[in-house]
Formats: sequence, C-alpha cells, structure tokens
Amino acid sequence: MQVHADRDRCEGHGLCADVAPEVYELDDDAVVVLRHDQVPAELERKAEAGARVCPVAALRVLP
Amino acid sequence: MTLRDVVVVGGSIAALTAVETLRMEDFDGRITVLSDEELPPYTRVPLSKGVLAGRQAAEDVVLAPLADEVDLHLRTPATGLDLDARTVTTPAGPVHYDGLVIATGARARRIGTPEQSERVLRSWADGRALRDDLGTARSVLVVGGGFLGMEIASTAVELGKDVTVVDVAAPLDRLLGTVVAAHVRSVAERAGVRFVVAHGGVRLVGAPVPTGVETPDGHRLAADLVVSAVGDVPNVEWLVGSGVPLGGGVVVDERCRVSPHVVAAGDVAVMSTGDGALTRTPTWTNAVEQARFAARALLHGDDAPAYRPSRYSWTEQFGLDVKMVGPMDPQGEPAVLDGGLGGGPVLLAWPDGDSPLQVMAVDHSTPPARLKRMVRGPRPAAAPA
Repeated sequence: MQVHADRDRCEGHGLCADVAPEVYELDDDAVVVLRHDQVPAELERKAEAGARVCPVAALRVLP
Repeated sequence: MTLRDVVVVGGSIAALTAVETLRMEDFDGRITVLSDEELPPYTRVPLSKGVLAGRQAAEDVVLAPLADEVDLHLRTPATGLDLDARTVTTPAGPVHYDGLVIATGARARRIGTPEQSERVLRSWADGRALRDDLGTARSVLVVGGGFLGMEIASTAVELGKDVTVVDVAAPLDRLLGTVVAAHVRSVAERAGVRFVVAHGGVRLVGAPVPTGVETPDGHRLAADLVVSAVGDVPNVEWLVGSGVPLGGGVVVDERCRVSPHVVAAGDVAVMSTGDGALTRTPTWTNAVEQARFAARALLHGDDAPAYRPSRYSWTEQFGLDVKMVGPMDPQGEPAVLDGGLGGGPVLLAWPDGDSPLQVMAVDHSTPPARLKRMVRGPRPAAAPA
C-alpha cells in the first residue's frame, strides 16, 4: 500500500499524525511527511485511519 | 450483552470515525450506516474554500472509503426511533439495531421566510450551487461573520467580488477574542471587505431569491448574491418523542452515551462542560474525537474512558492560518510567546504563557500537537446535571 500526500493542500492540523504517528509526521513547517514509501502491511489499517481524518482530504490511500 | 448489529445514523466524519473505531476495537458484527447525503462521507472543510473557488470537485472532498464489510445506505434519512423495539425508521422500512450511534450532525440555520430560497453553505450540494451563483455575481453580501461567513467572504474576495459582511457584533470577536479578531478584520478590510454591524440582526429582503437585508433601523444593503452563514441547528427532529433526551441537541453523558445501547457524537451531541452548562461543539476535531469515545462506550460501557476533548480548532481566511486550542472566545490581552501582533507569525496565550487556558498560532508553524500540550489539561466532562 502507498499513500499519496498532497503537500500543497495540507494545512498542518496533524490529525493523521495523532492517529498514526508510525506513518505520518509533520515537518518543521507543519506540513505532512510520509515515513514510508511503501506502507508496511502491519500499518495499513492505521495509514487508512490517518488518511480518513484529514479535514482537507489531502491524503489518498493507493492500493 | 454482546452486540451483533450496530446502526450508525449519519454520513459524515463522526459516523465514519465511529465505524472505523468499532472495527479497530475488533467489533466483528454487522455495521449499517444510514446517510441522507447523496455523496459518500466527505469533508465539509473545503466547501467554503476550494469548492467555492471552483478548484475542488466532489472526488477531492470525499474521504477514504469505508471498508467493504460496512453496509452504507445513501439517500436514506432516519425518520424515527423506537428505543423499546430497537429500530430506526427509514423510508425504506425499519432497521433493527442492538447498538446505535446517533451522528446526524446539524444543518444550516436559516433566517429567511419559507418563500425565500435562502443561500446557505453546509452540504456538498450547497457548495456546488453557491459556486455557480458566485460565478455570475459581482457583489456578495455575507450575513454572519463567524468562521464560515468569513471564509466565504475570503473566497469571494479572492474571486474579485465586491464583498460585505454584516453581523450583530464585530465579526470573530467572540471566537478569536477581540485582539486577534481585530487583526483578521484589518487584513480582510485591506483585501476589500466591508463590515457592517447591525445590532439586533437583519431581515432578508427579496423573494424568492434574497437581494439584500434590512437592518432594524431601516437601512438596506443589497447585493447580487446574499449568503446566510448564521450558525447551525442540530438534526434531532427524527428523535422527538422517542425518549432520547433533547436539549439543544442529543444530551449525552461523559462517555457520549444516551443509554447503554445508544451513543451520540459530533455536531448533534450536547455534553456538560463541567460547569453545568450543556454545550454542543460543532467542529471537525470534536466530531472525530467524540466519535471514538462514543464507539468505545458502546462496546465497553463503564469500562470505556470518559470523553476528553483536545479542543483544537482552526480557520483559514484572507491568507491567514489560525490554529487554536482551548475554549473559544479568549478574554483580554494575550501573552505574546513568539513573534509580534503587528503582522507575521505570532504565537499567543491567554491569560499568560505559564499556564495557558488558550493558545493560538497565527501563521505560526508550531504543530497542533505542541499547541495541545501547552494548554492545561481540560477538565474531564461531568455527567449532565
């Protein structure tokens, strides 16, 4: 599984990182950064959960 | 009792988060979601910004889809509830539950008459219609200067419209405190927005499409497009007479419960804030957080943790990015922790920086997680009096 993060759309609310800190973090400008190019299988559910709470729909889970 | 059938009524982020939490907590029974929306769960946050500006389409606001093992019914409003029989009434027939999540949210409050087709912004359909209206309008009058009204004004200015905001008090004062509100208004005014304060409120004039407003002293304001952004009303009509306690929303306990088998979360839920007052908190963050606690309470009862909100909220308008933690309406002068109030990034705290009740970052890159840690832990919610 891969996640696509639209960094232009990200507003830095950090809800993704609250839910799934193993998958998402915010950089020094409070913009989302992905910790993995390929999400490990055991983190797939958390990656999906983190994507789902993004208020600006900046995160897309790709199969 | 072991739950086998959970019904979630609602189709937005609180409903989606409740479903997600149930599955994360290893609930393996059936989940049925009843939504009156035409779209699968989407975020309303971009409606006043990217959608209104024409930059974002439906596929840009729809949230990551629910898993296959959830039964999602769109265009299916709940019309009634029988607590004894444990059924939700819908136009397609009754739906049985042994656990119920009420997440029917709220709708736009309206101030017009039934003859007026008042423009509001709450749903995807509203956003699409308003985007089209905005395309042909030269002047826009926004009634209501809260976050939504000001965000609509910001987008309209960005599109080159002549924009006026009218409200009963100085816009944003009661949300951001007078200091930051004045700063945001001055930025808005430099962008071309006119503010009119009409004590006592306004009346919409023109029918069927409103063409302006009239103030209590008879002054009239006119515009090609009039938009009302005057708050929201919880969707509880389907629960009237059901026995579910209603008081400005669905009244829940400190674990988001109405009863052992019924929980509520999001814009529809009303909870005691600890000082006896019952409060509804219609924000994205509250919907997400409350839905998690509500789902756990449905599964684990008294063993589930009591709700502890982070009280994080934000607004983006006129190029300003405002993030805050703590109750709305900070009082008095803030302590300046970084930057300066004259412009540029600034980090503020009320009443002081040592033990703040509220912190606010304006164009400041402090991550929300750190803002949350800066604020005194909120008191746990108390049971309704």
